[in-house]
Amino acid sequence: MKKKLLAVLLAAVMIVGTAGCGSDSGDGSSQAGSTDESTSEAAGTESSQEDSAANESTADEQITLRMAWWGSQTRHDITVEVIGMYEKENPNVKIEYEFFSFDDYFTKLKTLVASDQVWDIFQLGGNFPMYVDKIHYLDEFIESGVVDTSDIADAYLQITQDADGNQMGLSNGLNTYGIAYDVDMFTEAGVALPTETWTWDDYYNAAIRIHEYYGHYGSSGFTSSEFIAGCSTYIGQYGKIGEYTFFNIDLTGMGFDDASMLEPYIQMRADLINAGASPDSGAEAEITNIENDFLVTGEAAMTWVAVNQFPTIYDICQEEGRTLALAPLPRITENGPSGAAIQSSQMLCVSQDSEHKEAAAAFISWFQNSTECNDVLQGERGIPVNGTVRDSLKASATEGKQIMYDFVDLVGTFEAPEKINVLSPDGQDEVVDKYRNYIQQVVYGEITAAVAAEKTYADAAAIFE
Amino acid sequence: MKEKSGTTSGFRKFLYNDNTVGYVFAAPFIIGFICFSLIPILTSFYYAFTDYSLGTKTAEFVGLKNFLKLFQDEVFHKSLWITLKYVFLSVPLKLIFALLVAFLLTRKSKMVTLYRSLYYVPSLVGGSVAVALVWKQLFARKGLFNTVLDGLGLNGINWFGDQGLALIPLILMSVWQFGSSMIIFAAGLKEIPGTYYEAARIDGANGFQMFRKITLPCLSPIILYNLVMQTISAFMAFTQASIITQGGPNNSTMLYALYVYNQAFKYNDMGYASAMSWFMLVVMCGITAIIFKTSKLWVFSESGD
Repeated sequence: MKKKLLAVLLAAVMIVGTAGCGSDSGDGSSQAGSTDESTSEAAGTESSQEDSAANESTADEQITLRMAWWGSQTRHDITVEVIGMYEKENPNVKIEYEFFSFDDYFTKLKTLVASDQVWDIFQLGGNFPMYVDKIHYLDEFIESGVVDTSDIADAYLQITQDADGNQMGLSNGLNTYGIAYDVDMFTEAGVALPTETWTWDDYYNAAIRIHEYYGHYGSSGFTSSEFIAGCSTYIGQYGKIGEYTFFNIDLTGMGFDDASMLEPYIQMRADLINAGASPDSGAEAEITNIENDFLVTGEAAMTWVAVNQFPTIYDICQEEGRTLALAPLPRITENGPSGAAIQSSQMLCVSQDSEHKEAAAAFISWFQNSTECNDVLQGERGIPVNGTVRDSLKASATEGKQIMYDFVDLVGTFEAPEKINVLSPDGQDEVVDKYRNYIQQVVYGEITAAVAAEKTYADAAAIFE
Repeated sequence: MKEKSGTTSGFRKFLYNDNTVGYVFAAPFIIGFICFSLIPILTSFYYAFTDYSLGTKTAEFVGLKNFLKLFQDEVFHKSLWITLKYVFLSVPLKLIFALLVAFLLTRKSKMVTLYRSLYYVPSLVGGSVAVALVWKQLFARKGLFNTVLDGLGLNGINWFGDQGLALIPLILMSVWQFGSSMIIFAAGLKEIPGTYYEAARIDGANGFQMFRKITLPCLSPIILYNLVMQTISAFMAFTQASIITQGGPNNSTMLYALYVYNQAFKYNDMGYASAMSWFMLVVMCGITAIIFKTSKLWVFSESGD
């Protein structure tokens, strides 16, 4: 009898054990409890005012904030470092962090949205319409002084506001797109360097010439930016400035009527791949992040970058004795619109699911405004929006960063439409994947570029039906 | 007082009941099955008739719309075709290979156990991301296989860039994980009485004849089991396609499970993805049923009913 009782008990223990497995991770945070109260006050005096405001309200309470972001290895390293700094300054705050590649981040975010457990502090780019319900607006914290915006220009606050002027987050930095290229490969192959107003024809010819000279790729693949290049940017380059956009400004329909406007770009892309001057999709799948792009590995002379990525690859190539430079995106015609715009690279938001919204907002404020923090971050997410921070970074910028700052200034001088569309509609992901597949079908000769253009237009228009 | 002792004794009775121990031990599985299999299966059936999306979290009933959409979706047709191709190529190859190795390893030698363990290892790590990444490197443009080909003076093959070839590395990866089938075959081979072979040898049969007339028929129930299990798991293959090719080029490796995943988590169309899953269930049931029906023609049963 006793044995049987023991068996039942053991089994019961096992069940409790398995049930307990899932929730283990959350407990670690409360350990740091006892010694904190004295130190947190000391830290409060040192840190800037918005932190101490947060500390006062929560000083005796242990808080665990969850945070997540996507990006490259460099970003993971420096972000983890500043999180350590913040925890030191605010001993009552513990930040549990997770980081992902871009695609994995959004997969995870979607599951968290579904289960109402979005990270307290999370990173979002222009692709957020579907997550907008999960964002807790920062306005109340700006009013109460928890979030300090005194040193951020209104224009830079607006880039992360929704149509009703609600502050959705603070921008991590200004950003724009460009073509990074290897200067020596161009000169060696006898190809003229890109100018401020070079065209897609110039780009195409350069890629072909470099391929013929070296045998490797002239231009790396644009991977997931293919859509931005061939649809958003390319369409914006037609006609007068601001005349056409891919989706209309309110995201309620298409911003152009003629599907054949997409055709030349698709044809060019397919021609480059067929000529061997650009990687096919198999080779493109080998590019998992900017650090192993073919430009960086020395197998291509050009690639598409978001300019905040440029300093990283500039440094890598510099170590190998190569020199990279940045060129604006090619245009359809020399005198036509550039199609370029300065946008917010991403922003940090406070989630609706957070139990510590104020503490989360305080961290975001520190993250964007603290010079010590940004000395570590070094504008890797884009050019900081805080004036003081920007000036201090500019003063100590490395060569690669200097090029980035100059480039953003240059793009800022381009004539730009009054209103730009930095958001993307829900459903764009599928359109992008199909669009990239149509290009491959053109490469294999299954469909013509004209058909690919029509199909892309139909897919995109179907979002709004 | 009396009542209380009554309930305690009832509880004691329950506690000391023979079946209780069984239920308690089975409870982790039962709870797990209900929470993580049964409930999701039932909800997915409901979602298949809605436009549920993870992002908006609203599920409106849309009737058969998701199922009708299947007929117009080019990518869906392609992925179905690719998946059938993958199953019909990978499963027979894998079983033939597993049987061959199992047959070789029936010899009486001290090394057999070691080899058997070694060949089983790939199955253990089978579905893992790490192996898929290794595979991606092996077949990359400058990977091991192309380096060897270069060394032999041949042109490298653009495995993942050619839509006709891209599926082959994925099939090979699945064939390489033949271990679990092999172990089952090996056990089956041991069960065949040695006397059959002795008798055949006396009658002058050669090795091939013995294999065809004795080994295969005696092993046929095991082959049926392996065939069914491997077919089902091949239909659900996901990791290779997701990690190595992401479905490309030109969707030529867009396995069904990957497309379901894309619809559910990337394109936010959980309702459509649920409908696709249920469609696949029907297809798999059909194919399994065909295998069972035809098995009467080739599975040999010793009881001879």
